[in-house]
Amino acid sequence: MSSPATLQVCRECGGGAPVDVHFCPQCSKILTLGRHGDYFAFLGLPRKLGIDAEDLEQRFRGLSRQFHPDYFYNATPAERRASLERSSYLNDAYRTLKQPMTRIEYLLQVEGLAPTSPQEASRQVPPALLEEVFALNEELDEIRDLRAGGAPPEIWKSRLERARGPIETKRVAHEAKLQELSARWDALVDSGASVGDRRAANEALEALRDRFLERNYITNLLAGIERELSQ
Amino acid sequence: MAYSEKVIDHYENPRNVGSLPKDDVNVGTGLVGAPECGDVMKLQVKVNPATGVIDDAKFKTFGCGSAIASSSLATEWLKGKSVDEALAIKNTDIVNELSLPPVKIHCSVLAEDAIKAAIADYKKKQGTTMSAAEKAQPTVQTI
Repeated sequence: MSSPATLQVCRECGGGAPVDVHFCPQCSKILTLGRHGDYFAFLGLPRKLGIDAEDLEQRFRGLSRQFHPDYFYNATPAERRASLERSSYLNDAYRTLKQPMTRIEYLLQVEGLAPTSPQEASRQVPPALLEEVFALNEELDEIRDLRAGGAPPEIWKSRLERARGPIETKRVAHEAKLQELSARWDALVDSGASVGDRRAANEALEALRDRFLERNYITNLLAGIERELSQ
Repeated sequence: MAYSEKVIDHYENPRNVGSLPKDDVNVGTGLVGAPECGDVMKLQVKVNPATGVIDDAKFKTFGCGSAIASSSLATEWLKGKSVDEALAIKNTDIVNELSLPPVKIHCSVLAEDAIKAAIADYKKKQGTTMSAAEKAQPTVQTI
């Protein structure tokens, strides 16, 4: 991985500025969104998965006000464009970091751990999970047939509930595992090891990615069961 | 996004849905998944031991129309092919035949992966039955 850029240049005065500031320290003009850090740095946050929702909201609102195009109504075209660019990037950053799942996905991406191809992603999912998901999907299919064939609700409903049990347990365990792995990553960030010890960092990120890839199987199945139950 | 007519045809009249006996040494089973959408696909081939040709192929897919059509088409193509010919089927062939749009290319990749996994399982079974027979001999002698 290439080392991240640390400096940007102010187009107004030519002065240098750290990559994660939004206004030039020399001339105080809004900086063009050229070379910039990631969503975490943009919001002034460490690259951690534990994010306090209220703190994030406040940072978002604070920056939203500072970048608001209304304040740049009489400014130069370059500043007006910079205000729009920063506002738009801020919205993307906030939307991505607000949800824990898109936050993990984004972290994996900026850390260079996103799967490179569908084949690769597919291979990282444990075969046992695929077996289980397949079997539960078949069970769900049978229940649908039973229901379509006019079976009384007490028959198919209890089978649906029985099918939901193991997958709901799995979802809870999966969520707990993701939280545990997120905490492990955050501890590495706190100790400086996420940058200083890439082997430990990659191990933590790979474990996180492998678990993360399982979530769609679980959520899709549960959604299918809920859909049947609510109809 | 509109599905092509061929995708709709395979989706509405899927060919070769079902399963083959998993424990049969002449049957290879491939179970693959696409984590980004949560699709799962099972594809099986049955190889004629005398000719080495794929006699039968079955699939079952839980996923979108393109994933179902891709695996349905794959089973059609597999029948009558040798194991090596089966491995030559590329996802791009499926994309072209079904006119899949770019966002659905991963469905064809899944089908190619399923073919490869099924053949690999078949080959593994053929290998293990051999070695199991070989291993059995010395045991007989010691008794």
